[in-house]
Amino acid sequence: MAVAAAAERRDRFGLGWRPELAAGILANLDRIDLVEIIAEDHFHASRRGLRALQTLAAQVPVVLHGTSLGLASTVMVEARRLDRMARLVAATGGAGWSEHLAFVRGGGVEIGHLAAPPRSAASVEGACRNLDRARQVVGTAPQVENVATLVMPPASRLGEAEWTGQIVAAAGVELLLDLHNLYANAVNFGDDPMALLRRFPLARVGAVHLSGGRWIEGPSGARRLLDDHLHDPPSVVFDLLRELGRLAPQPLAVIIERDGRYPPIARLLEQLDLARAALAAGRQDRG
Amino acid sequence: MSSPRLEAYLARLYTDAAALAAFLEAPAASARAAGLDAVEAEALAAADHTGLVMAAASFHAKRARGRRRRRFSFLSDA
Repeated sequence: MAVAAAAERRDRFGLGWRPELAAGILANLDRIDLVEIIAEDHFHASRRGLRALQTLAAQVPVVLHGTSLGLASTVMVEARRLDRMARLVAATGGAGWSEHLAFVRGGGVEIGHLAAPPRSAASVEGACRNLDRARQVVGTAPQVENVATLVMPPASRLGEAEWTGQIVAAAGVELLLDLHNLYANAVNFGDDPMALLRRFPLARVGAVHLSGGRWIEGPSGARRLLDDHLHDPPSVVFDLLRELGRLAPQPLAVIIERDGRYPPIARLLEQLDLARAALAAGRQDRG
Repeated sequence: MSSPRLEAYLARLYTDAAALAAFLEAPAASARAAGLDAVEAEALAAADHTGLVMAAASFHAKRARGRRRRRFSFLSDA
């Protein structure tokens, strides 16, 4: 326990665990401080499957990342979904966990991905209610992640940073700040990425995601940046990480997410080094 | 504003091409016909329709990709 506590008092850098990257990760644990596991991949794991997860957790610190709870909703999250997360958290010896500020279903319809809800007092209240329930069932509250969106959430009354700030303050949770999601939302809706970063509740950031995306074209030639996790993080994401390091002195866990078009592990390790350098530079900027 | 009813309608727009087409044709009327109140319907009518179309297309692609992809891992026998 003391070792784990000490480890969490410094910045840490890791990768999203994917089967395609597993061998490369296990061969380079001297350069990887933690791995993030997609919880849904293991919700139905057998006892043997859970033991494998425990074996991994014995080699490297793991954190669990949920994608299907839909906590930022005016609809109460179902207990059975939280029970699955609780089982995984228990199996990994109390690993930390995170989930998105998104809704993923409505009226019995599964959207199949993360949708940004209307940003309003009602969704703040709904998210807080769900986070409270998650804390009760799982035993710990998740870090909550900002999501990328191609559509300005309809019927919103609050800006993204303000809406997020209200939730993390009222629910008493940490923020998992995805810098590429932030960048995508800024450029898609005419905001300045650095200015948007500074409006987020940076004192509450406990972890960071870095990823990449691509520009896509919509009706009438409209172009928007899609966060697809299939491309390298652009340099602006590292610039944002440096600025975050300057503004947020607390230790951060920085995770690079990749969901396909996997590069050689050496390239991902290079990106981790870029992240280390960017955050260190931000710490130095702070003086 | 947000409500279970509004989230349900958005989920439909993101997953049902016919519902999205009907909404784009007559936004406020379609939203009212789906049970939204006047304030919600007006808010949706004034929404970012280009983004709605792009988001729906992206969710469609992600659902298709999810169906194609069979996750495998020595950590999971799910």
